[in-house]
Amino acid sequence: MAITRPNLVNGATARQNYAKGVKLLKNEFTGPKTSDFGIPGPPVAVSTYDLFVVWHHVAMMTLTPPTQMARNSAHGGPVFLPWHRFLLLQMEMNLQRVLGDNNFGIPYWDWAADGQLTTAKQKTAAIWKPDAMGGQGSPIANGPFTQDQFRVKIESNSNNQLVQTDHGLRRAFGVSGAAGLPKRANTAVALNQTDYDLTPWDSTSNGFRNFVEGWNPPLGMHNRVHVWIGGDMLLSTSPNDPVFYMNHCNEDRIWEAWLTKNGRTYVPDQAAPASLKGHRIDDQIKAFISGSTTPRQMLDVSSIYVYESLTV
Amino acid sequence: MPGTMRIVPLVPNAKREEAVANETPLTRPTAKSIASYVAKNIAKSPMMEMSHHGPAEIVREAEYNGHKIVVKTTYRIEVDGTPVTGHMGVSNDGQVHYHAVPNMSFASAIDLVKVLIDTYPEDFPAKSGGKKGRGDPQGDMGGMDMPKMKKQAAKSAGNQG
Repeated sequence: MAITRPNLVNGATARQNYAKGVKLLKNEFTGPKTSDFGIPGPPVAVSTYDLFVVWHHVAMMTLTPPTQMARNSAHGGPVFLPWHRFLLLQMEMNLQRVLGDNNFGIPYWDWAADGQLTTAKQKTAAIWKPDAMGGQGSPIANGPFTQDQFRVKIESNSNNQLVQTDHGLRRAFGVSGAAGLPKRANTAVALNQTDYDLTPWDSTSNGFRNFVEGWNPPLGMHNRVHVWIGGDMLLSTSPNDPVFYMNHCNEDRIWEAWLTKNGRTYVPDQAAPASLKGHRIDDQIKAFISGSTTPRQMLDVSSIYVYESLTV
Repeated sequence: MPGTMRIVPLVPNAKREEAVANETPLTRPTAKSIASYVAKNIAKSPMMEMSHHGPAEIVREAEYNGHKIVVKTTYRIEVDGTPVTGHMGVSNDGQVHYHAVPNMSFASAIDLVKVLIDTYPEDFPAKSGGKKGRGDPQGDMGGMDMPKMKKQAAKSAGNQG
């Protein structure tokens, strides 16, 4: 039976369990060390939570194909949505495991609802309260992920390399180039796209995927949320901030709303040229913490989970 | 033992091979399975080759009226004499991309580097008169006095924020 992913504002228990599960995964060490990933410095054990941080960074640095920079194995092309759906499922199953609760669902953050608020009120919305994700700061000053409870241990540097670090979580709302969050009008425009994606299958494409990813228009939906939150959410190691998963859960919800409206379709198909390898419907989506999947296998997950609401 | 969820969409009269292709196989992880997969996948992962050092040629290609256009660009960037070594990307609309700030695109490499300086204060120690950077709510991405970026942000703000 499918689990339900709740709206975080309606799920106090889910919020608490999410924070609890994240901290359990942050303190679980299954064997991998920083040296295994070529991260400089003394070998240090990498937590299960931080393996997801490394996975995201590595996927971003894996160009598809390697001769260009427009697409990588998780972003800038059609696979953006199925790749992140798979990431969310892997995180959710690990949270279920450490919580001992197979019915746990990652709460989603309906950021377009907060985008309807004034820019001042967006910064004090329910998600940023101490009983949810805590607020902003360098490091953040309240909530379940303050520096005495949660440390960023691996991050990218300005040369795109992973490095060891040790600091509290950083957020700085609305100061990095995006003054406000996306609005309902933006999600409506995205949902009205009848094509999932279009040639040239990159950040210049029209179509639903690129609207949601946020290259068209520039600094749109997903990208805007990262930039608006700022701090650790600006980097290729953005899964360091637990809000990352609530953000992507909402983008996954928007995709599910689109699939429900338009049918469970995906492009490009497998007949597309090899230059699109990694983004075609039956190409592998690789993870280094689990087996792989394909975009096709991510198209219908309705018997695994559903959302509390598909009103986006 | 890890459990397995195998989800096969119920499509009447679907061919068996199509049904198999549509399965969503998800095996519940264990601490042991994670360690095992990481050990197996690290060996064949390209991650250690992915730091993109040094200047690299960016090749943009397009077709126009039967002609093939190829534009090759190489960036050599320094800040205070220190090279910035990650590879840049430029899309066919001229926007500059860089993985260290993956959710933004820029009208020029100069604009990008200004944001890099603000985003990575540890890599670019503040000079006198410098402003605060990433993670400081009082910081305003001080170097980001970028007309195009602000124009974009303002344009986006009109329909987004």
